Amino acid sequence: MEIFSNGRVVSLDEVLQNKEWRQNYQETIETKYPNKVVLGIKLNIPGPIKTNASLKKVFELGWNKIINSLKDKKLEIFFFNLFLDKITGPEGVVVVSGDIIPVKKEMITFESNFLLGRLFDIDVMSKTDKNYQLSRTQLGFEARKCLICEQDAKICAKTQKHTLAEIYREIEKLIEKYMKQDIKNVKIKTVDAALAALLYEVTVNPKPGLVDPISNGSHLDMDVFTFIDSSQALRPYFSAAYDLAVNFKEKDLTQLFNELRKLGMIAEKDMYAATNGINTHKGAIFSLGIFLTAVAYLKKQQNYSIMALQQTIKKMLSELLEDDFKSINMKNNGELTAGEQQFLKYKTRGIRGEAVDGYPVVFNYGLSYLKASTGSLNQRLLDTFMYIAEHTSDSNLIKRAHSVAILTEMKNFTAHYFKLGGSKTKEGIEYLYKLDKLFIERNLSLGGSADLLILTIFVAKIEGVI
Amino acid sequence: MEIKKSAIAGTLESSDVQIMLSTGKNGFEFELESDVAKQFGDQIKETIVNVLKKYKIENAEIRVIDKGALDMVIKARAITAAQRALDIVDTPQWEVL
Repeated sequence: MEIFSNGRVVSLDEVLQNKEWRQNYQETIETKYPNKVVLGIKLNIPGPIKTNASLKKVFELGWNKIINSLKDKKLEIFFFNLFLDKITGPEGVVVVSGDIIPVKKEMITFESNFLLGRLFDIDVMSKTDKNYQLSRTQLGFEARKCLICEQDAKICAKTQKHTLAEIYREIEKLIEKYMKQDIKNVKIKTVDAALAALLYEVTVNPKPGLVDPISNGSHLDMDVFTFIDSSQALRPYFSAAYDLAVNFKEKDLTQLFNELRKLGMIAEKDMYAATNGINTHKGAIFSLGIFLTAVAYLKKQQNYSIMALQQTIKKMLSELLEDDFKSINMKNNGELTAGEQQFLKYKTRGIRGEAVDGYPVVFNYGLSYLKASTGSLNQRLLDTFMYIAEHTSDSNLIKRAHSVAILTEMKNFTAHYFKLGGSKTKEGIEYLYKLDKLFIERNLSLGGSADLLILTIFVAKIEGVI
Repeated sequence: MEIKKSAIAGTLESSDVQIMLSTGKNGFEFELESDVAKQFGDQIKETIVNVLKKYKIENAEIRVIDKGALDMVIKARAITAAQRALDIVDTPQWEVL
């Protein structure tokens, strides 16, 4: 990584003039907010290159961290102004409530604890406070240390003890270390979210026809423990899928999906090994794998947003229907999956259609419903599940009912459930127990909707909704 | 040359130096504040004196608040302070630089 290989060279005069500008500007702000604390935040980068895309990114990372730490301390932010595009380097000013000493200590903590904090220079000022000029040493902290030799930074700077090339190398190493650590943290969080999604789904109860801790539903061959085993067995798959996306260098995202499917095939074997041959999570391996890979891909590009996620999924799957259904006619009936058989029989596209459209049930229905829901987590997820079931052509349900007419019936079930008040009423819950019995009698299940609930939980976890 | 008016240049930011010049009678009278005064006080004064001499200033009261400025920064701030003090900001003596 060569952070300093681009960026405009600024003159000493430009830097010095900017310092005078900054001091005037900060004084204006201090006068405007005399009883508040003013923070001047900038990077501390020696040499003639003060800004470029990487340095701006570093600044933004720190800036966001500082703003969050101020909010965590319950300090009110009265004003802020960000100058991201100055040629003398990105900088900004924030005005907060509170006393100067705790704010200053908080900023020193940031400078010392945040890995990139050493690249920041934060001035804490207050027009009326008598402690205006307190230095780090007066507050009992050490003077700032040199990036290279750990001696007093002021002395190294003064004597120009280190060459600019040495300092640049050190800064580059630091940023690289941060990025690596960041990737690792995001990976752990993302894989954990995928596993949590699987375990939350099986835990939500009572679900009609599905396995949960109090009922095996219409599934004689499995219980909640089978699902726990199966979930555990998929951790390596999620981890491998994450790495696949992070290391993916091609432009064509359908390639990424094709690579993922190879991992998915191994994951299916792992699942069957863990469950003694029972299909617990085949649908989740497919869909959750896609979601996790898309999240990883976007986080790597530092481009993640909920909209980008849906678009990336669509791009990954743009050839799915064509490729998959093309080969249908070459297969014997015994080799066809439920989704493929239904495509031939009812022209329903099943999970493949949902996938190709970018999972509208997850993004347009499930997620917004979950966001707006209230109550305990089980109540929220239960209502979200029924809402998803209402809006899904569940191919698992069609398969077990041997008829698409079941979809209309299902809509009546969910409408009645919500009419009773859903998960937060006694009547709603009793109705679910009744439905579970009915589903068991008729051997119905909602495997497709369960998969979509898993995906909704996963995205909600990534988004911090739950 | 005589200092016509008190002048100031530079800020109190880290790696900067603030230099205030005002009329003096007994050569160069320094008041220096710096975290590194012990090690670098003389060097800081020398840099400033060299600039002032180039402007032919012989007497001045000089108040310096150093925040760890590099030599080139001290020099640049001293030049600005001198030009402001001599009221020649609009016609700077570039040859001095």
